[in-house]
Amino acid sequence: MTNKKKKNYIKLLLVNLFFIIICLACMIPILYAVSVSFNAENSFLSSDFSFIPRNFTLDNYKSVIFEKPFLLWLKNTSILAFCTVVLALAIGIPAAYSFSRHRLPGRNALLMILLMLNAFPTILSMFALYTLLKPMGLINSDAGLILIYTGTMTIFSLWNMKGYFDTIPEEIEEAGKIDGASNLQIIIKIIFPLAKPTIIVTAVMVLIYVWNEYIFAINFMTGADNYTLAAGLYALQATEYTRNWPIFSAASLMVSLPILIIFFLIQKQMQSGLTSGGVKG
Amino acid sequence: MWKKIRPYLYSAPSLIVIGLIILFPILYTGYISLTNMNIYHWFDYTLIGLANYKKALFVFDSGFIPALIRTLLWTMVNMALQVAIAFFIAVLLNTKGLRLKNLYKTFLMFPWAMPAYVSILLWRMGMYNTEFGLLNQLLGKLGLNGVSWLSGSSIAFISCLVVNLWMAFPFMIMTIDGALQSIDQSYYESAELEGAGFFSKMRHITIPSLSPIIMPAVIMTTFTTFKQFDIIYLMTQQKGSNTGANIHTVITYAYEKAFMTNNYGYSSAISIVIFILIIVFTMLTRGVNRKGRKI
Repeated sequence: MTNKKKKNYIKLLLVNLFFIIICLACMIPILYAVSVSFNAENSFLSSDFSFIPRNFTLDNYKSVIFEKPFLLWLKNTSILAFCTVVLALAIGIPAAYSFSRHRLPGRNALLMILLMLNAFPTILSMFALYTLLKPMGLINSDAGLILIYTGTMTIFSLWNMKGYFDTIPEEIEEAGKIDGASNLQIIIKIIFPLAKPTIIVTAVMVLIYVWNEYIFAINFMTGADNYTLAAGLYALQATEYTRNWPIFSAASLMVSLPILIIFFLIQKQMQSGLTSGGVKG
Repeated sequence: MWKKIRPYLYSAPSLIVIGLIILFPILYTGYISLTNMNIYHWFDYTLIGLANYKKALFVFDSGFIPALIRTLLWTMVNMALQVAIAFFIAVLLNTKGLRLKNLYKTFLMFPWAMPAYVSILLWRMGMYNTEFGLLNQLLGKLGLNGVSWLSGSSIAFISCLVVNLWMAFPFMIMTIDGALQSIDQSYYESAELEGAGFFSKMRHITIPSLSPIIMPAVIMTTFTTFKQFDIIYLMTQQKGSNTGANIHTVITYAYEKAFMTNNYGYSSAISIVIFILIIVFTMLTRGVNRKGRKI
């Protein structure tokens, strides 16, 4: 082995070692929760704690599923997420298409204003939204939350998808028009398939937002039966976490799992979908 | 005729929803900010002009200005550490011959993929809890006394900072990693021919080519950091389990004034001030963004 090769070898060894330590450090909070969730009783209270559970058990998971209204929360969240994604796309796609294709007077100004409006932190709108939705009877109802979630994500969806539509050449549509396709047909048969990546990213961003939102879900819904997973988990930790840390860990991990799977499935698109959407303009 | 209406028809549903859920709250907040609506004047509130704004901006003891300074400090420290460390890690990820790069990247992505509030609660209970948190257990094993990670203001600030960095690193690492790969390798080759060392290559090639590419992502993250609510709220200020640390940022401050002490008029004024601040920052950074894109 030459000197240079040896030096390179040591360098790679050190870099690998560095990354093993960094990855472990980064995973510790999650690994710890995994370990606690599989452990029988609160054995981590004793001093001989270890990362590998001493008494392996699935009891914590069983008790989350059967003793807590976990499945009900899952159902609530799924309904909310599904409706919000459908509604957000149903109003977002035509608008994004229109903003991309039709050069209406004031279009750019309106797009800029929307971006500005989006700067207002949603959480500070809570009181005003309560005042607005209360007389409509939309407090403590799924419809109210769906409306709020859709509204919160609309500007993002609009900008994100408009940016992508801009990259689809209009000539493709012209060809369709010559063949006598109606405008709606063009959108459904030509634009939809081409815009699939951005539609998927937008849908997933909306889904993740709904899945993870807890402040509105807690304040606008009363009664544990109406909670979403996020709200339920929040309530779980706020009331009885000292006794139920293993159960909380198990619940947290189950709530996160679907999001983790979806995230890693579309990881590549996420990165480009996110950075390109907010920037183009 | 139909053709003329169509664009409006397509965008109308979106604009109506935005009007209801985004625009109305801002206008309503602006109106309430001029009134004395609070727990004593629930229905019989009256217009009081700019008194709430005066209180927020000119009465230091009211707590808004300290919260604003803290928020700026929070944003700057976060961004500086985030970019510097992420850059370091991304450069190492691109070490020639690193075969497990993608595996490492997958692990490093986890904090980004986890739902944010779950991560925060896991940190709060798993790491920082005074009795059975991992950190105090480790300290105990070393024979040291446990620390109340979330009680004192300074230590709570640092604890929250660590969590924010932990959650924000993946996006920044991936952004810088992507940008590094877009740099033309021939620059490095010719620099090597001229005998440039590692640091000289960093300074003259990597950093100048990197900054315009990552600038949009950095600006976007700066706003997210400025607006960060969940970490500080869930860590230290949950209803019924306030840890006693005073590390209000402007957002948690406005939230507390509205929903804990029910001073809606005052809270609304703060919300509008925050809104204006963010818009001004946006205007300022748009110039930077434009310049970045041209290069």
